[in-house]
This record gives sequence, C-alpha cells and structure tokens, in this order.
Amino acid sequence: MNDNAAIAGDALTLPPADNAPATRPALLDRILGWRDPVLFFAALFLAWMLASQWLPLGQNPLLPTPARTFAALLDSLPELWRGTISSLLILVPGFLSATVLGVVAGLWAGSSPRVGNAVFPFARVAAPIPPSVYCPYAIAILPSFQLSAIFLVFVGAFWPIFQNTVAGAHALEARHRDNARILGLAGFEYQRRVVFPAALPHIFAGMAVGLGFSFILLTVAELFGANAGLGRFVQYYADFADYPRMVAGILYTGLVTFTAMTVLEALRRRVLFWVR
Amino acid sequence: MSGLILDDVGFAYGDNAILERIALSVPPGQFVSLLGASGSGKSTLLRLIAGLQSPRRGRLAWNGAQIAGPGIERGVVFQDYALFPWLSMVDNIALAVGKAKPHSGKHERREEAQDYLRKVGLEAAIGKYPFEVSGGMQQRGAIARALALGSPLLLMDEPFGALDPVNRARLQDLLLEIWEDGDGKTRKTIVFVTHDVDEALYLGDRVVILGSAPGRIIADSDVPFARHRERRSLFCSAAFQHKREAIAETLAADMLEHLATA
Repeated sequence: MNDNAAIAGDALTLPPADNAPATRPALLDRILGWRDPVLFFAALFLAWMLASQWLPLGQNPLLPTPARTFAALLDSLPELWRGTISSLLILVPGFLSATVLGVVAGLWAGSSPRVGNAVFPFARVAAPIPPSVYCPYAIAILPSFQLSAIFLVFVGAFWPIFQNTVAGAHALEARHRDNARILGLAGFEYQRRVVFPAALPHIFAGMAVGLGFSFILLTVAELFGANAGLGRFVQYYADFADYPRMVAGILYTGLVTFTAMTVLEALRRRVLFWVR
Repeated sequence: MSGLILDDVGFAYGDNAILERIALSVPPGQFVSLLGASGSGKSTLLRLIAGLQSPRRGRLAWNGAQIAGPGIERGVVFQDYALFPWLSMVDNIALAVGKAKPHSGKHERREEAQDYLRKVGLEAAIGKYPFEVSGGMQQRGAIARALALGSPLLLMDEPFGALDPVNRARLQDLLLEIWEDGDGKTRKTIVFVTHDVDEALYLGDRVVILGSAPGRIIADSDVPFARHRERRSLFCSAAFQHKREAIAETLAADMLEHLATA
C-alpha cells in the first residue's frame, strides 16, 4: 500500500527538464537588458571626449568638451526651464487641437463614404505640403507670434493624425460593424462606442508621428520670431558663438522630446491594454 | 402572419447565384436547424434574415413586418467571438441591455447585465475583458448579449463551431436549457446554422437542409424526439441513428451531384 502510494507519487513528480530556462532573478534580467544600450551611450560619450578633448584637433570652439557643455547646461537650467514653459504653451494647444480635430474629422471622413469622397482629394493635395512653408504666411496673417506658432504646430500634427484616424476607421473589422448593426448602434453612439475605440491603435500611431512633427515645427517657428523657447535658445547662443550653451540646448531639447514621446507611449499602453 | 416567413428568396454576388427560391415558414417558438455543407449559402441566408444583407429577389418578413435591415427583435450570435474587445464582459452585455431598455440607468443596465452573465455561467468573468477569457466563455458572453437584447428571434451562425467538443456539448445543453425555459409566449424562435448533423438533430425541432451551388432547400423534416432530450441515451437510440443516417445520405447525395456538375 505504501509502496503504491510512493510509486504514484513518483509518477506525478516530473524530473527537471534539461531545456528548462534557467531561473534568473528578474532584477538581474532587467539590468542585463540595459547593458548594451548603456555600453552604446558610453561609446558615444568616449567618441565625444576623444574628438573634443583628447585628440589634438586644436580645441575647436565649434566642438565644446563634455565638461564645458554640462557646465553650460547646469548654468542655463533656469533659462531652459523658462524656455520649456514658453515652448509647451505653443506645443500643447497646437498638438491637442490637432488631435481633437484630426480624430473627429478622421472618424467622420473615414466612416461616411460621402464625406470621405468629398474630402480625400483635397487631403491628398494639402497633406504633403511641408507645413514649414506656411511659416511666413502664418506670421503675416495671425496677430501674434504665439498664435502663428500654434497654427504651424497644428498643421504639422493634424495631417498624420487625420490620415491615421481615417485608416483606423477603414480598418474596422467587418464583424465589429455587423455586431454594431445587430445591436442597433448608429450615428454618434456607433462612432463613440465602436469606430473610435477600434481606431485607437491607428490614432495613437498618428499621434506619435504628429508629436514628432509638432516639435520640428515648434523649433522652426521659434527660429523665426520667438523671444523665448527651446528653438530660440539654440538659435540665440549660436548667434553669439556660445557653442557650449548651444549644444546644451540641443541635448536639453532632445530630453524634452524624449519625455513627451515617453508620456504618449505610456498613455498608449494604458488606453490600449486590450490590444495584444 | 406571425413567425418568420421567407418567400421565394434569391441572392447572388454578381452572376454567381448563392441562394435560389428559398421558401420557408417558421412558427414562433420553433427551433430550426439549418444544415448544409460549407458553401451552401446557409450563413448568407442567416445574414439576409438578420437584415445585414438584402435579397436579390423575394421577400422576408418577421411577424408580418418586412425585413429591411437589422433590428433588435432579431438577435445574432456569430461563430467568431464577437464581443467588443475594448469593453469588459459586463459592459458588452450592458450595451445590449441599454438597447433593449433605452430608458434604464447605467447602474440598472450593469445589474441586469450581470444577471445575464450569471445565467450563462459567467459570474466569475463579469469584470474581465474578452481577451482574458477562453473562447468558450466568450461565446457564452455572446449568447448572454443576444439574450440581453431580448430578441424573440435568435439567429445563430455555427456559434459553437470553433469550440472543443466538451465546451461545445456544454453550450448546446445551456442553449437548450435557456430555450426550454421559455413558455409558449416567451420561448424564442431560433434559426441555428450548423454543418454538424448530430448538433442539428440534438438541438432542433426541425432540420432544414440546404443543397449547394446555388443554395436551395433540398429537405425539410421534423425531428421526432421528445423534448428534455438526454444526450447520451438519445445519441445511442436506434431512431436517432436512423434519422442521422437519412440526413447524412441526403447531404452526401447533394455533394455527389454537385461534384458531377462542377
């Protein structure tokens, strides 16, 4: 009896498999995952040191050393922070209004064949125009620099968001459309409960592209006529040949852009938890 | 005229005839199994009844009203789990409750949706999302949603076709239980599309067989087995075997004819 129980017990215990993955602590795994990116950053930094400091290239003033650049960065942080606020006051209204209008117009044109038919030929002509060419005109016709810059950011972000939203509405699966019809969903309710959520993956893709364009147009606009802002900061110190501050401004702008992209990505993951 | 009436219904994609001269009359409360090989147009026929597509000729009517589009008096359960992935199970069902009872509040809808989920054995999945539960549970959810819509006519397009045999049997029993629960007035009329002869016989009051290319009714017979059917004893009975054999022969003959003309 006892023997039987022992045998049965043995049969239930599987021998450890040879191909079982080694159980590594999750933390160590994460650290190892960061190893290569960190090495790459280190290599870039070394190359910078090499070019600006260690090699006898005559200490080119156009290529400030890391030490001088970071000193300039620290020194300029209050000014950069004011510049960030000034830039965000242009970026956020421009990007948000582009998102709202791009999504609403995109859903409308994407799910109504008649509206789509009327609008798409115009969109095909207007969307590829590089938004930066509107810059002089926007500054000429809008009453303030702030408004014309917001308008440029809006134009830059609008088209990618609009086009991706249209693609999202077109990609609505037939079964979701059938089910919506079976349930009697129509009009605004159909848009809100079915088309909009189904198009969200496309909408977020469009927002990511649109955000990238927003930053480009923001800095372009600031080169033209701002008295504050990130692009303005870089242009201003370049004019004075203060290259450590200029490079610091570039690095800082990169950091702000990266942060904005990261926030958008976090939002995307949160909203699109149901997409596997 | 109450019930479902199909009068000389035809459908085609371009010159490709899919359905021809379909005439069918289903009295209220009847459970009809619509049987046919793949490509016989049985799903198309169901979509016509649902109002998702319009017939090329003939007319369809439910309770005397011509079918011109989808309506919540005709609920549909499709084979591919069709809950909206961005809504939780309870919110999916609550959407249907809201359509059946447009004046109900949000809280009331969710309460009622939970009742329907309990009815199909999904109390554990109420707050979950469709991607978090199995295919069988999603299909239970789809049935709950169709029930929540309160449709007197239920159209089912191979609803258990993608399920494993154990789940399929469970859901067949669940469907019969729900259907038999209704009395003379509240009992739903069901049109159940399948290509599984056993399933058609186990569930239906009546089996309608569609022949292929183009789809047309080649047989229509009552299922003579008394209700509260018991799966195991029914499947073993000689009467069941005999009926099953006859239907299989009809299907095979149609297939041979189709091959000969193709």
